[in-house]
Amino acid sequence: MSGETLERSEMKIDSEDDIILVRRKVRDFASACAFDVFATSAVTTAASELARNVWTHAGGGFATVEKVSEDARLGVRAEFRDNGPGIPDIERVLAGGYSTARTMGLGLSGSKRLVDEFEIESAPGRGTRITFTKWARY
Amino acid sequence: MNGSIPILRIGEILVASVQTELRDRVANAFQEDVLNTLETTGATGLVIDISGLEVVDTYVARVLAETGQMAKLMGASTVLVGMRPEIAATLIRMAYPMGGIDTALNLQEGLALFGRRKKKKK
Amino acid sequence: MDHRKYMKILKLDEAELRSRRAFFELTEADLARLASLRPFAEKVTDDTVEEFYRLLLSHPETKKFFPDELTVRRVKRTQREYFLGLFAGRCDLAYMEDRLRVGAIHEQIGLATKWYLGAYRKYLSIIKKHLIAEIGDPEEVRSAFESIQKLVYFDVALACDTYLAAKLDALERHQAAIRELSTPVIRVYDRVLLLPLVGAIDSHRANQVMDSVLTQVGQTQAKVIIIDIAGVPVVDTRVADSLIKTTAAVRLLGAETILTGITAQVARTIVQLGVDVSAMHTLSRLADGIELALSLVGKAVQPAETKKRRRRKRSEAEER
Repeated sequence: MSGETLERSEMKIDSEDDIILVRRKVRDFASACAFDVFATSAVTTAASELARNVWTHAGGGFATVEKVSEDARLGVRAEFRDNGPGIPDIERVLAGGYSTARTMGLGLSGSKRLVDEFEIESAPGRGTRITFTKWARY
Repeated sequence: MNGSIPILRIGEILVASVQTELRDRVANAFQEDVLNTLETTGATGLVIDISGLEVVDTYVARVLAETGQMAKLMGASTVLVGMRPEIAATLIRMAYPMGGIDTALNLQEGLALFGRRKKKKK
Repeated sequence: MDHRKYMKILKLDEAELRSRRAFFELTEADLARLASLRPFAEKVTDDTVEEFYRLLLSHPETKKFFPDELTVRRVKRTQREYFLGLFAGRCDLAYMEDRLRVGAIHEQIGLATKWYLGAYRKYLSIIKKHLIAEIGDPEEVRSAFESIQKLVYFDVALACDTYLAAKLDALERHQAAIRELSTPVIRVYDRVLLLPLVGAIDSHRANQVMDSVLTQVGQTQAKVIIIDIAGVPVVDTRVADSLIKTTAAVRLLGAETILTGITAQVARTIVQLGVDVSAMHTLSRLADGIELALSLVGKAVQPAETKKRRRRKRSEAEER
């Protein structure tokens, strides 16, 4: 994804408490980018979803939260990495196709709708990496 | 218990106010408490005030919906009140299925809803 | 404006570069020829720049862009670089970005396109003169000039683009300002709000409307909000979708939405698009919407005739 990083925070996701910490970090960066309350809610919720997925479906992982800038606009970027079982059919999960992975799919597809840029790399046995960016609006 | 959600009773209605983050432990305890209280009081209504919730992700939404479903099985209908504007916006934008749950602006409106329903029955 | 932003606004990427080069018939052979003409360019650059600026400084309207000797010397240096840049033998994204930067500077100082194009004409005229003088052979001169002309016109296109990009950017900023001013929510009664939507609704504005509506309902604890769309020229799936989303979100807060101003045209569009608005209150006339809203908050509307009838009844009673 484009843009340069102004500030970065590396975090681990090993417990339910960590989900809340990641959420707070994302909120702090959103605040620093002067996001309005709706944009803050969107990006914080997306981060909460993905952090929770890491913890629930992979047993743990990492998150990198960044404040980014591109062409004089600011944004919040977050990356979630885990070495979990991976997502077998991303398109289908995003469309809510798998019943067992439905909760994960809802969180995944929901998060995608809340942000501006969304990338996901995942394969069975290869873990998962999801990155999103939300830009401030004027 | 620290962080547990107190449940008040106003006539036949139970009122609970969620002020803190709904973590697993707290959510489970809350559901337990609601069901137990419904059983002992025979209350027919449950108002959950979420004006203190800053984030409602799919996990929290599920906990709230489940609690509503459980209460319904025990003969009580649930109303969610005080949802923050940005929470409503986020839930809809996420396209999270929020069907079947009653909502009201605030506690007063929520209680009034039960009052009107009772009048209708008579 | 940052020239990199220009690249974005104008969508100047590899595909666009290939497309332009193809249309301007600017080939690798041309670029190779231009590179081979570098010694020629270095030889004539000073004369070219001098003659070029003689025109700009002799014409009163262009002279004012070069108010002092310092500025003139500076731009002549830049012009020399520009001239030699034509003979670098490359035309890639970096080249385009560089030419945009030059165009951006000219746009920023307010140099109108007419001067720009007139200047390029002079440029080509000077170059042709030198080619004939230095190279001689008519066939060589012709092919050399062909290649130079292609690249110069390519540059002219980019220069015109910067003006366009600057205007698009200004337009975007004005539109943002208009959006800010155009979502006023009115309180028509206790706990009844009205939002008259006027003007086109793009996706950005649709989001803003939703946020505005929700904030207002939350702040005023309104029970009903009427959204009147009579002033929205085009109601397509996107607009309908955002109105449905807004209604759903307002319901989550515990309030109701009434949509009014549905014209015959809009009704037809919505049904033909297959959009399901059955969960919403929809009406044609705003007055009806207000009446419905008042009934929803428990306040019945008294029709005017009743008052008249009452007055008549009173006077009849008095007569007796």
